[in-house]
Amino acid sequence: MKKGTMDNKTRYLHKMAAHCETGSVTGLLNHAGMNITEPMVFGISSGIFFAYLQSSKLPFPMFVTRNMPGSIRKKTAKRLGVVYKKSKPRDPRKASESLDALLAQNIPVAVQVDMFEMDYIPPHMKAHFNGHFIIAVGKEKDSYTVSDCYFPTLAQLSQTSMERARFARGDMAPHGLQYYVKQAPQQVDLRTPIRKGIKEAARNMVKLPIPFLGVKGIRLFARKLMEWPKLVRDEEHLSHEVMMISAILEERGTGGAGFRFMYATFLQEAAKLLNDAGLADMSKQMMGIGDRWREISLHAARIGKKKDLGPDRLKELSAMIMARADEEEKFFNQLLKIVG
Amino acid sequence: MEPSKELKREIKELIIESLKITDVKPDDIIDSASLFEETNALQIDSVDALEIVMALQRKYGVHIDDQNLGRFIIKSVDTIAEFIAKEQAAKQGL
Repeated sequence: MKKGTMDNKTRYLHKMAAHCETGSVTGLLNHAGMNITEPMVFGISSGIFFAYLQSSKLPFPMFVTRNMPGSIRKKTAKRLGVVYKKSKPRDPRKASESLDALLAQNIPVAVQVDMFEMDYIPPHMKAHFNGHFIIAVGKEKDSYTVSDCYFPTLAQLSQTSMERARFARGDMAPHGLQYYVKQAPQQVDLRTPIRKGIKEAARNMVKLPIPFLGVKGIRLFARKLMEWPKLVRDEEHLSHEVMMISAILEERGTGGAGFRFMYATFLQEAAKLLNDAGLADMSKQMMGIGDRWREISLHAARIGKKKDLGPDRLKELSAMIMARADEEEKFFNQLLKIVG
Repeated sequence: MEPSKELKREIKELIIESLKITDVKPDDIIDSASLFEETNALQIDSVDALEIVMALQRKYGVHIDDQNLGRFIIKSVDTIAEFIAKEQAAKQGL
């Protein structure tokens, strides 16, 4: 499944990936000649994170398990010396002209889209999500050939759907965002970027003095979960929100367990490159932490599905989340010591 | 490596056990049919898929990290068996 399919014209190799942003950046870098994996891109970009977000602008509190959208591109530019050309054409016509001109030069381009408009996704799986990234790799008449890392093969997308997808409105509206690799180094010593990536991620998890970010955010999540019954309309709504915990951790392109497995793989690769037994041990620890986040996913999914959502069940779930906070606090402090 | 009939039966028993299903027997499940569609004796959802992933992990010591790829592995008894057989062969250095 990970072997991939090749676009004949651009020679772009389509591969499935765990997450659309890390997957599309990795795909573009590989196409530009860099030999780098998705977990390595994620780790170097300090992708691992946690934030519990509650705001009057949000319909319901939510949590995220990775850094800000766009950070993967920005950090790989900074730490690996990649030069991206990013643009936000003003309207659909200009956006299509700009994209088509690049494709005519056989340059693959990452575009932000509303997932709902992707023609190749079966109707029963369609959902609006404006933060999705695909790579446009070619165009014949009115149809784009695209690489969507959640789809097993290269796919076709009509020009009409592409325009609608790039200018969808609502949260995280794409506003026509597109980028491509202008220049990428062929040989990079990954050792310094790895250390910088780890150091920043670990600091973000344990040193930020903000109560809803990092490990503090996990603890806040554990406490606030007990207040969710007061925030919901009814039992059905509570069940939906509790099941969303599982969906966010497992089904939204996180590589499983809220990116924890992907980070474990990154640490394993990093340990080899740096010849560091300490990092190899940390990788194993992170895999265990991921397994225990997955137990949270399963517990949330089970009680949500059965609507078994009394205070005792939520208390159990809250205690499991709190235990992950303790575990990750210890883990990232230890990681900081290893990378100095 | 072609997965054995025994492995497929074991997987079906594991699915039934992990989902605590009482009205379906291993023989009712079609090996090649999607577990997510009603054409099979079971029509699992994403929660069931996660239950199966955890059960496979416990029984066979395999890791299915990514749910996007996991969906392709959990698609049918055949795809699960192929994955397990491949993982077991890799562990034995075959």
